[in-house]
Amino acid sequence: MTATVSSARDPRGPLQAHARPSIRRTLLLWLVVPLALLVPCTAFVFYRLALAPALDSLDHALDGTALALERLVRLDDGALTLVVSRELDSALRADRFDEVHWVALAPAGQVLAGDGALATLGGPPSPVDWRFFDATYNDKPVRVALHSWTCVPASPGHDAGLCEARVSETLNKRHGVAQQVLAAATSAMVVEALVLAVLGWFAIARSLKPVESLSKDIELRSPEHLGPVIRPDIPREVAPLVSALNGLFARVVTASAAEKAFIADAAHQLRTPLTVLRTETELALLESHPPQLEELLRRLHIATTRAARLANQLLSQARAEHDRHNSSMERFDLKQIASEAAEEWVARSVDAGVDLGFELESARVEGHGFLLREMLANLLDNAINYAGNGARVTIRTGPAPPGRTCAMLEVEDNGPGIPPEDRERAFERFQRGNAGGTGSGLGLSIVRDIAGHHGATAELLDGPGGVGLKVRITFAPLDAPARPGKSGARS
Amino acid sequence: MIHRPKSPIAPFGVQPVRILLVEDDPLLSDSTARALRSQGWVVDCTERGEPVAVSVRQDPYDLLILDVGLAGIDGFETLRRVRAQGSDLPVLMLTARDAIEDRVRGLESGADDYLVKPFALSELVARSRALVRRNQARGGSVLSLGNLRMDLEARRAYIGDQELALAGREWSILQFMLSRTGKIVAKEQIIAAISNWDGTTSDNAIEVHVSRLRSKLEPAGLKIRTIRGFGYLLEEA
Repeated sequence: MTATVSSARDPRGPLQAHARPSIRRTLLLWLVVPLALLVPCTAFVFYRLALAPALDSLDHALDGTALALERLVRLDDGALTLVVSRELDSALRADRFDEVHWVALAPAGQVLAGDGALATLGGPPSPVDWRFFDATYNDKPVRVALHSWTCVPASPGHDAGLCEARVSETLNKRHGVAQQVLAAATSAMVVEALVLAVLGWFAIARSLKPVESLSKDIELRSPEHLGPVIRPDIPREVAPLVSALNGLFARVVTASAAEKAFIADAAHQLRTPLTVLRTETELALLESHPPQLEELLRRLHIATTRAARLANQLLSQARAEHDRHNSSMERFDLKQIASEAAEEWVARSVDAGVDLGFELESARVEGHGFLLREMLANLLDNAINYAGNGARVTIRTGPAPPGRTCAMLEVEDNGPGIPPEDRERAFERFQRGNAGGTGSGLGLSIVRDIAGHHGATAELLDGPGGVGLKVRITFAPLDAPARPGKSGARS
Repeated sequence: MIHRPKSPIAPFGVQPVRILLVEDDPLLSDSTARALRSQGWVVDCTERGEPVAVSVRQDPYDLLILDVGLAGIDGFETLRRVRAQGSDLPVLMLTARDAIEDRVRGLESGADDYLVKPFALSELVARSRALVRRNQARGGSVLSLGNLRMDLEARRAYIGDQELALAGREWSILQFMLSRTGKIVAKEQIIAAISNWDGTTSDNAIEVHVSRLRSKLEPAGLKIRTIRGFGYLLEEA
């Protein structure tokens, strides 16, 4: 997959933190902002609702004093009198917090008793039995209760006369009550807001937790594990997403399998024409031909051999993939595998003019037989191919130096070798040492892959006496826990 | 690379070697047949496995080259039928590289050797030749390679017309190697094979015997190649 230009420009990729919408942020925003508006409003409403009755009862207490004044006004022989003793006056004005003033007025408006200045407040009496109002008295704001009653009954030729009693008090009690209610409302509001905020945060965190742990799970998966995600804790809202993801995994698996099957088929189909090509070239070389054709035919032969090798390796890789997932590991002795390979490979080395030797000691490993043979085949193929005519190649199996606890397989040759600076690159696919030869460039990459699958490491070292190349595969000790099915460390 | 044959495979002037090739791909069949014919052998080709058992019974073939993947009955079934009628004709099976387990199955079903496709001509020819020789040797009490002849009944060996003197162990070792012409012989196998009659033999002793044999066989145009750390291969020089 080639990178697109935009992601090449920005290594962090297309999804960056500041550009992404956040569920957490959205939820908090939609909870916090309304909370910030709603809670003070509720507190305000509570304040008003709690304050009103308190003020009302204070008003009615004031009214009580006015009513008491009505009882004290007497009508004697057509004359209104109000006699208030000092004690009574003191009793009327008694209040812990506020200044109280009172006045009683005759129908014509003259003061019967009390603080005359009160008479100037609030206007002429109205037919309303009682009312309350705010005013200013002695430069202080006061609340006034006004009570009027019929003190002179109607007679022929005269209307009824209305007397008025007015009582005022300062607002200290009222302010005190208001403060109390305000404090209560405010503290309730704060507590409520805090509790809601904490609960909200907690609820959001808890709801989002399965999503986080789900994404961690998926992140940890290796590309080989494309089975469906099945977890009981996936929330209903996220389940469709996970379902879609599983569907995608299944499609990827199918596509990948189809791809691999195609490669395997293609390589398989290539076999026959390649064999024929090779055979025909060899036959042509055998037939008498003009000398100028000799070089041409030889080059043709080299090219077909290389193509045949490549097809073989592709097919082996496809087979190896299949084996990796479908068969289980067994125990093998590398010495045995090398011995079995002797038959085929001695013949080939003799043909190539290479002296193939064996130094075999027992070395037990756990793995897939087919893959181990393939790995050895690729190593020998490379050694014989690159070392060339007259070279010496040795296969070695046994305990690995220095500790001798691990099993080891080595193939060394005294050919041209690989310079140390090129060794890491040599493991990459299609890196060919000798451009004119018949190598495909896949050999070492296959070796590393198979080694990795067995939990083994592949190293390129100097050959015997510093000449040539030695490829050493070191396996993990048998008692170490095997890691079946995973590709293991990159070696 | 493939070469012209160095010595005739039919040393006593009997009929040339006849091979039955069973391969369903026409291109492959054609080029393989021509390759085998370049060695002076007679090759009959067939695409299917069904007529093989009958053909083998009717005509004297020296070698059967059998592809595993055939239309109709496959190579294994064909082989089974051939063996079922008591034929011990040498069989070389052609198998696909990625089905290496077929090789085991083939050998268990009665094949004598196998070759992996795509194969080099030289390998095909070498293995075919080895199998044919073994078959000829099997028949009689005479083993031969190049100018060397071992008469097992008379217990005498000849290079051309000249008798070759061999010590007891040398004879055993040479007989063992000759009976497995074309195949690599591991030192352990030699020891195991000859220790039955002569008591146990050491590695070093084997080496000494082999080196003596080597010089004795030189005039016959044969050499014993040492496979370092493994064993030996008897071949024509």
